Amino acid sequence: MDKPVLELDGISAGYGTGLVLQDLSLTVDRGEVLGIMGRNGVGKSTLLKTLMGLLKVRSGRLTFSGHDLTNAPSYRVAAAGVGYVPQGREVFPDFTIRQNLIMGNLKARNDDIDAAMDLFPVLRERARATGGSLSGGQQQQLAIARALIGRPALLVLDEPSEGIQPSIVREIGTTLKQVSAEKGMTIMLVEQNMDMITQCCDRVVFLEGGRIATSVPAAQLLESPALLNKYMAF
Amino acid sequence: MSSVATIVLDASNYALILLLIALGLAIIFGLMNVINLAHGEFLMLGAYTVLSIQMAGGPFWLGLIAAPLAVGLFGLVIEEVVIRRVYHRVLDTILATWGLSLLLKQSIVLVFGPGSHSIEDPISASVMIFGAPYPAYRLFIMAISLLVVTATFLFFFKTRIGLAARGVIANRNMAACLGINTRNLDRMTFSLGAALAGLAGAVIAPLISLDPHLGLGYLVPAFLAILVGGLGSIMAPVVGAAGVGVTENLAATFLSPVYAQLIVFITAVLVIRLAPGGLLGKKRRQT
Repeated sequence: MDKPVLELDGISAGYGTGLVLQDLSLTVDRGEVLGIMGRNGVGKSTLLKTLMGLLKVRSGRLTFSGHDLTNAPSYRVAAAGVGYVPQGREVFPDFTIRQNLIMGNLKARNDDIDAAMDLFPVLRERARATGGSLSGGQQQQLAIARALIGRPALLVLDEPSEGIQPSIVREIGTTLKQVSAEKGMTIMLVEQNMDMITQCCDRVVFLEGGRIATSVPAAQLLESPALLNKYMAF
Repeated sequence: MSSVATIVLDASNYALILLLIALGLAIIFGLMNVINLAHGEFLMLGAYTVLSIQMAGGPFWLGLIAAPLAVGLFGLVIEEVVIRRVYHRVLDTILATWGLSLLLKQSIVLVFGPGSHSIEDPISASVMIFGAPYPAYRLFIMAISLLVVTATFLFFFKTRIGLAARGVIANRNMAACLGINTRNLDRMTFSLGAALAGLAGAVIAPLISLDPHLGLGYLVPAFLAILVGGLGSIMAPVVGAAGVGVTENLAATFLSPVYAQLIVFITAVLVIRLAPGGLLGKKRRQT
């Protein structure tokens, strides 16, 4: 068995003086597609922001592909091979689609840009449009393509289905599954949408109280509604 | 006709110098959120670099090349030693750069004395424009300002590093999460902004009397220019510098320099009151 690609060991982190993640430990295997679920406020987005270096790690250790990235600046985390698709997408509204893609990899050649547009054909159709003029679903596709053009070893996505019409959610799910299968890319997916989780993920962890409460194979989710009731219902 | 041409040229001249200064200030603020109160002293250092070379017997043109390089390098050191330690704390950057401005002024007093100096006119010839003689050196200033401002814009709008820099201005955290090395861009930006101020100081040196306090007279209108133009945009200083520069120069010509200051301040207050984000301003992200 290979060493895990990502290891979080006793991570505590949060905003201001409050801690959201409390002594959280998690390992992710190479090539695995991991779903992260839980109620609002349990620390799903905080976990991804801490991984990306946007929040300070107060204690614990974060290792990615053998590199210690504890409290590394965001650009070093990205350079180490982590691609990030944030909640709210955060595309550059004044940049064209092409420019947004280049932001994901300043050394991208035309082939790379073409390959990114192949994943989501709508990006090619509207290549000259600015990021801000796209619909929510198109922006989400752009944000994913922008993260993928940097050829990350680990792709992390924060609620990519949020506010997006179901047909595009399915298209995104299919693309993620395809990318993971073809390139052996590891994916961490924070998501509330059950269809997307069961479509894409191998394993799902539930967060509660700032740490991992349980970890189950994704296939088991559909068979055990009790798990969802326990960790998702209010 | 001839006097109109002279007035228009003088106003353009002043607006272009102001643009050179305001552009550096706006790039530093846009990228790094640092309000650089020592920017006027960077300009002053540029002028004194020319003076040092003149005192050593060197030609003006050597000073003109040396000033942006020396001040840019100085900016790089200051960024590393001072600025990078106070990022994300706006009030502290104001205090730190204000302290730096005092330190630079007093250092110049210690080395060159508190009195004023002058730089010999590098081009004494005049050119006939619409029948009136106009100093050739002023035309040279306009040409070099236009050239440098155009080069700066080409860098920001036509290169990938420029795209990355604009990305950082628009959304610093997201740009960093995409692998843009914000640390290197900060260094480059501060140094470039300082070099632009150094160049401005060098080109205007032959037109003014050099004293350790000369920076303030340019810092204030440059700040007004970026406030009027709008924060968070690289194009804004063009609008701001044109507005502030031309208004101030015309008012000074037709009324008096005192009224000119008054009119510029009142106009700036009105613009900022009616359009708080500036004429080209956008909402900045709170990050």
